[in-house]
Amino acid sequence: MAAATERAFACMGVRDVRSGLAAGAFSAREIAEASLARVRALDGATHAFLETTEQLALAQAAKIDAAVAAGTLDACGPLAGVPVAFKDNMNLTGTHTTCSSQMLANYVSPYTATCVARTIDAGGIPLGKLNMDEFAFGSSTETSAFGPSRNPWDLSRVPGGSSGGSASAVGAGLATIALGSDTGGSIRQPGSFCGVVAVKPSYGVVSRFGVVAFGSSLDQVGPFARSVEDAAFALNAIAGRDALDCTSQAVGIDFAANLAEGVRGMRIGIVPAFMEARGLTAEVKAKVEEAADHLRALGADIVEVELPNAQAAMSAYYVLGPCEAFSNLARFDSVRYGYCDPGHADLGSQYEASRAKGFGPETRRRIMLGSYLLSAGVYDTYYYPAQQVRTLITQDYERAFQRVDCILAPVSPRTAFRFGEVSDPTDMYLSDMFTISINIAGNGGMSLPAGLGADTGLPVGVQLVSPQFKDENMLRVAAALETAYGPAPVAPAFREGGTLEASPANIPDAADAVPGVDLPGLLSAEGAPSEVPAKRVPHEPDSPAGCPCEPGLSERPGSAEGVAAQVERAGE
Amino acid sequence: MRKLEEVLQDWEAVIGLEVHAELTTLETKMFCGCKLEFGAAPNTHTCPVCLGLPGALPVPNKAAIESIVLAGLATNCDIEKHSMFYRKNYMYPDMSKNFQTTQGPVAFCMRGHLDLDVDGPAAKERITAAGLAEGDCDGNATRTADGYTAHVGITRIHMEEDAGKMVHVGGSEGRIAGATHSLVDYNRCGTPLIELVTEPDLRTPEEARLFMQKLRQIYLAIGISDCSMEEGSLRCDGNVSLRRRGDSKLGVKTELKNMNSFKNLHDGLAYEICRQAEVLEEGGQIYQETRHWDPTSKRTIVMRVKETADDYRLFPEPDLAPYDLTDEWIDQVRAKLPELPDQKAARFARDFGLSAYDARHLVESRATARFFEACMELAGEDAGALAKPVANLVINDVTAHLNAHADFDLEDSPLTPARAVALVRLVAEDAISSKQGKEVFAAVLEEGKDPADVVKERGMEQVSDAGAIEAVVDAVLAANPDKVAQYQGGKTGLIGFFVGQCMKEMRGQGNPKVINELLVKKLG
Repeated sequence: MAAATERAFACMGVRDVRSGLAAGAFSAREIAEASLARVRALDGATHAFLETTEQLALAQAAKIDAAVAAGTLDACGPLAGVPVAFKDNMNLTGTHTTCSSQMLANYVSPYTATCVARTIDAGGIPLGKLNMDEFAFGSSTETSAFGPSRNPWDLSRVPGGSSGGSASAVGAGLATIALGSDTGGSIRQPGSFCGVVAVKPSYGVVSRFGVVAFGSSLDQVGPFARSVEDAAFALNAIAGRDALDCTSQAVGIDFAANLAEGVRGMRIGIVPAFMEARGLTAEVKAKVEEAADHLRALGADIVEVELPNAQAAMSAYYVLGPCEAFSNLARFDSVRYGYCDPGHADLGSQYEASRAKGFGPETRRRIMLGSYLLSAGVYDTYYYPAQQVRTLITQDYERAFQRVDCILAPVSPRTAFRFGEVSDPTDMYLSDMFTISINIAGNGGMSLPAGLGADTGLPVGVQLVSPQFKDENMLRVAAALETAYGPAPVAPAFREGGTLEASPANIPDAADAVPGVDLPGLLSAEGAPSEVPAKRVPHEPDSPAGCPCEPGLSERPGSAEGVAAQVERAGE
Repeated sequence: MRKLEEVLQDWEAVIGLEVHAELTTLETKMFCGCKLEFGAAPNTHTCPVCLGLPGALPVPNKAAIESIVLAGLATNCDIEKHSMFYRKNYMYPDMSKNFQTTQGPVAFCMRGHLDLDVDGPAAKERITAAGLAEGDCDGNATRTADGYTAHVGITRIHMEEDAGKMVHVGGSEGRIAGATHSLVDYNRCGTPLIELVTEPDLRTPEEARLFMQKLRQIYLAIGISDCSMEEGSLRCDGNVSLRRRGDSKLGVKTELKNMNSFKNLHDGLAYEICRQAEVLEEGGQIYQETRHWDPTSKRTIVMRVKETADDYRLFPEPDLAPYDLTDEWIDQVRAKLPELPDQKAARFARDFGLSAYDARHLVESRATARFFEACMELAGEDAGALAKPVANLVINDVTAHLNAHADFDLEDSPLTPARAVALVRLVAEDAISSKQGKEVFAAVLEEGKDPADVVKERGMEQVSDAGAIEAVVDAVLAANPDKVAQYQGGKTGLIGFFVGQCMKEMRGQGNPKVINELLVKKLG
């Protein structure tokens, strides 16, 4: 294979990277260079990456190598030298943040999301930005304006979505850790499809600041990794209170601390209604039952719990999600940034044309849906009852978690499907039937790879669900199950010595797309630019380059101290 | 069009106000750390949050919540412990997120009221129209000795954020019509704003003016805004409808905008009331519409007709958790309440024996209230005796001067409290006449001198020495034997003639009281 000459550092785990650096077996610079070379050599197959960040990677590597030389690697943070990448709805100063939409094809971030900043602060080497469904609306990455990503286990199949690029990159060994976001299953379902550990923490564990919002009350950021421990390390890096997101919470826990404790004496719930759900395939059901058997064998009590209102979660979600998305996406209006359709004499027609052309069909569908659901007279029929359902579902989980420490469930009713196979939007929405209620209730949920399905031979994940802010419970159960299944393997074709033919990719680099900008300088406090050039090499030839309405404002990064000086809740 | 007083004989005006106040005394914006500053270079106080960049999130300003709770406590509102923010969705370039973060059905402050004391000529508008005698009630108004008191309900005060500012260039007078470019300055975007909505309890333009004036005094007293109507940090819209006297059914209302001064508020409403009356009297129909007050042409002009209610798709703001204010925290805010204008007036009346009228007008502005208090402090033991003349000086002379000179700053003027007290003392001690007092007052302001020096320089000292006056009195009586005879024959009204002659002889410096006494003695 093409990258055979390079060491596949991104196929390594966090501990191995760290010990190798400490022992001087390789340098962080080697990690950065080899990892980027591997991405460029293989991502033609997966199309997980939309942009690389070479300057940032090399600058970060230099810092870590300096620390190794100075003997201060210990001070470098839990992800020192680990190749990481970010879903493209996460802002990183000086990179494009497109949300895989033509609307933002030319948008360059003037500030950095908290989860991204924390990953880099923890020592991660940022390789680039990852493909997704447009604005996270989808379960396959097929709605990406820049073409879908592919599943590394079978390139004719989808990687799942919306964080499909993140799952694909980690599954293919193109990154050790990737961050994704999950509004209804967008971390867990692609995690299951690509056979990687995928964690959606409880709502509030990770700051959403700088992550382009889909459904503000449902969105949560989480890591993809190939082992439970690596996911816990990543979660340690990004979790916790952020003064810039007033829905974020202080966490104060080491997610990696109790992984080895096992499940003896733990009570783990199974939801009979989920197991009997129409559409659940036999191979996925068998995997969940097998996982239950493993847990029983490891000393856990398996208990049946009821979530009587969970069947209404899908309906509530497709009210609440589009309503919030309608409002969150209203800012993409062609005035300050984003795609602006040229030649309009009045504001109304510029709005209409820019949004009609800038957004893809699924995004327009969700906006229309939300706009309708919130309109006068309709609101009381849908939005208000949906919020009541939300309360009921939250109470269902609270009741269930009085009896159990964790719930075991399917992630997706089936394994990865082929491109174009699911064309009806409502069928696509059913991909999230087992994951959505967890976003509605705000609990933590994760997908743990449980081997390959008996019928399709494709990866199957099982879902573990935590009580709110008890995310350590599901990680502990996952770690125990991992002793049965083993850490998630890199997809066979992408392993060293794998069968994949050379698949070079011509991925734009942030530095080429934004010439003349010193990207590493942007990361340091003193290097904040007053203005960021806003032209880019388009991802596709027909993308709206040279838009006359590029930002003329001086967009400066927010003053963290200024905002931190404010407190979000009076009365605290 | 008929005059307002006449119209109000036949029609009852029903007026409600919506008052927006920018919390200009805060350091930072409502949901981000950007500085609040009026007049900075465009788009220099902006960040990802107030520019509505993708991914940015709001963080509420705690001091702003404290400010609105203070405003609620000062206007007798119930403080709602459980309220939340909502999104009001509409697209316009000055609103960077294309939704305004505001509040829903439950605001931080609900169900308040202010009592307005209406006196003077404007009080007659309602008293005569409703035929009120003292003690009578007309709806929310109760007749008092010098006017009436109107109880005005406050529906709510809610917290929201301001939009940016649009500048249209290339056309005429900055209007959007004909402009070639529209520019947006987002410095103002995200400025904390509180909106107070009154019940439709106001009945005359004067009541509306007084309500705004009183509210402004309260906001200034609690220090939450600079309340500049010119700079737009205090803005007011009015809703007005008419109904025939005695009817209970409300008429169709119009909404009035651009009333950016107390005078414009009064005049705009007065015009609109008269306009509506004319339309209705001619058998026409009032349309629910937004009208713009043009102070130059002194007319209201249609801005837009509202055929249906706007659909703002209001829903709870999912980025901000609902509030759960504790009694303890509200009490901490309550403890920060300063003395409010009504309380100050009550104290002035109680401590200095002033009438309610005097006390109320003294606190109409913070400057005059402070000035009066400074005077009373200087007066020391004589405070009781000097309170009424000092109050008169402040309410009449100082207020007239303030009204006539927009740029006059009492705190930084030659008329110091010490000079005011000295002036009042001179009159009280009969050193100068009250007429001379007015002259000295003007001279102090113009020349910046102490009253005693003015009196000395102008030779104004009043002569109260009985010996000196007696000589003049004798001379006057001797020169007018016929008038003396008439007086003694019963025409006692001639006493004024004799006083006048004596004063003329003394070039106005004789003490009229002493002259009077001597004349009566000698003529009797």
